[in-house]
Amino acid sequence: MIVVNDIHKRYKTEHGVGRWVLQGVSLNIPRKLNVGLIGANGAGKSTLLRLIGGVDHPSKGWIERRCRVSWPMGEGGLEGTLSGRQNAKFVCRVHGHQADLADRLAFVEDFSELREAFDEPVSTYSTGMRSRLQFALSLAFDFDVYISDEVTAAGDAAFRKKTATAFKEMADRAGLIMVAHDEGTLKEFCQSGIWIHAGKAYWFDAIDDALKAYKEAIPQ
Amino acid sequence: MREPRNPLAISFAVWQAIFLREAIDRLFDMRAAWFWLLIEPALHIAFITVVYSAVRMYTVGGIDVALWIIVGMLGFFLFRRTAIQVMYAVDCNRPLFAYRQVKPFDPAIVRAVLEAFLMVIIASAILAAAALLGHDSLPRDPLLVALAVGGLWLFGLGYGLVASVLMELVPETEHILKLLMMPLYLISGVIMPMASVRQPYREFLLMNPIVHGVELVRQGFVPYYHVVPGVDMAYLYAWVIVSLLLGLLLYRRFALQLVMK
Repeated sequence: MIVVNDIHKRYKTEHGVGRWVLQGVSLNIPRKLNVGLIGANGAGKSTLLRLIGGVDHPSKGWIERRCRVSWPMGEGGLEGTLSGRQNAKFVCRVHGHQADLADRLAFVEDFSELREAFDEPVSTYSTGMRSRLQFALSLAFDFDVYISDEVTAAGDAAFRKKTATAFKEMADRAGLIMVAHDEGTLKEFCQSGIWIHAGKAYWFDAIDDALKAYKEAIPQ
Repeated sequence: MREPRNPLAISFAVWQAIFLREAIDRLFDMRAAWFWLLIEPALHIAFITVVYSAVRMYTVGGIDVALWIIVGMLGFFLFRRTAIQVMYAVDCNRPLFAYRQVKPFDPAIVRAVLEAFLMVIIASAILAAAALLGHDSLPRDPLLVALAVGGLWLFGLGYGLVASVLMELVPETEHILKLLMMPLYLISGVIMPMASVRQPYREFLLMNPIVHGVELVRQGFVPYYHVVPGVDMAYLYAWVIVSLLLGLLLYRRFALQLVMK
């Protein structure tokens, strides 16, 4: 269970503090549920995801993670000067997997299918290669809840098919909180939805209701 | 569900991971980066020693001028390199804060430890080379050397912590701190003997804690070295404690601002 209690968030900009992106969001997200975040561009979906992942901190309010939550997949986390292998080692060590480092590395190398590029610096990677590595990395650990920001959209056709299968498997085994703009993806993976609108978040038990609310709010 | 890890265990795991990541960056960043890491201070010291020998100065404060320069410079470099590494620790590791286990303080402390590690190797190599060239470069009072060197290192860490937070809060301070670093080399008694500065100016220069550290390292190497009057270990450590506490306090208070967008 992830408890989000009355969080407010605004960013510091070049000209002082910015507008409130989230304003009083309170949610209880169960552990074994796949949830889709829906909202217009700039509504605060990625912000909420980053806050849940613990990468950023709310300006006000608090978040409690009562289970193992992944880092926001598909969002940075790779050091350009290091090779894919060195990055993978770093992530393993940070997550306390020094003992079974070799197994996890073998998995990442195998799943990402980067071959020789796995030992090249990440700064030389293309966008597709980066997301392959990021996706493989997040699958290498057992989290209770995975959080993902548009991660399924990456890679070529073959890899996309492979990730979709892996993603599905992961979604059955653990919870998932994801951001996606594609309605099909959301319906395929998520049961429930959170609609973010004007700084508030609305919970819907069924993803279809969330999508309906989202569409109704779009001015004709 | 797996048992949650102990916070201390997480910190150690993170430190280990960052240490290895930083070491790779420092040693294998460019072609033969590790070679330049060693050769740069060695050449610098060799050059200044040759210049001093050329002007026929053989002793400073009663000790061999080569040893005076080598030891003083190594002490000063330890401070400066630690300070600069810690200053940019958060900046250089920005992508890694995507993992919430990594806190802004972690790369700072790890970088300081790595720098101490490298400086011990560099210093040993340079002192061994000096010994082979016939200079008596064995410390006579290792305890005093360790204490003074430790003070310089910790002050570098404290200075770096404070400076990195200031730079983040007020970006303009970066220029001022850079300006400050330049004359520090000249006024810390590294190449210009403090004893040659007349009063009351020496009094002003002695307010700089690095002078105290550098002079005390020299005394640790050669006990009969004429230390400038007024040099005090307690003064150095007072600066260490104040800068470290202030730095940690600022990190505690502004840690979020350092990584928040």
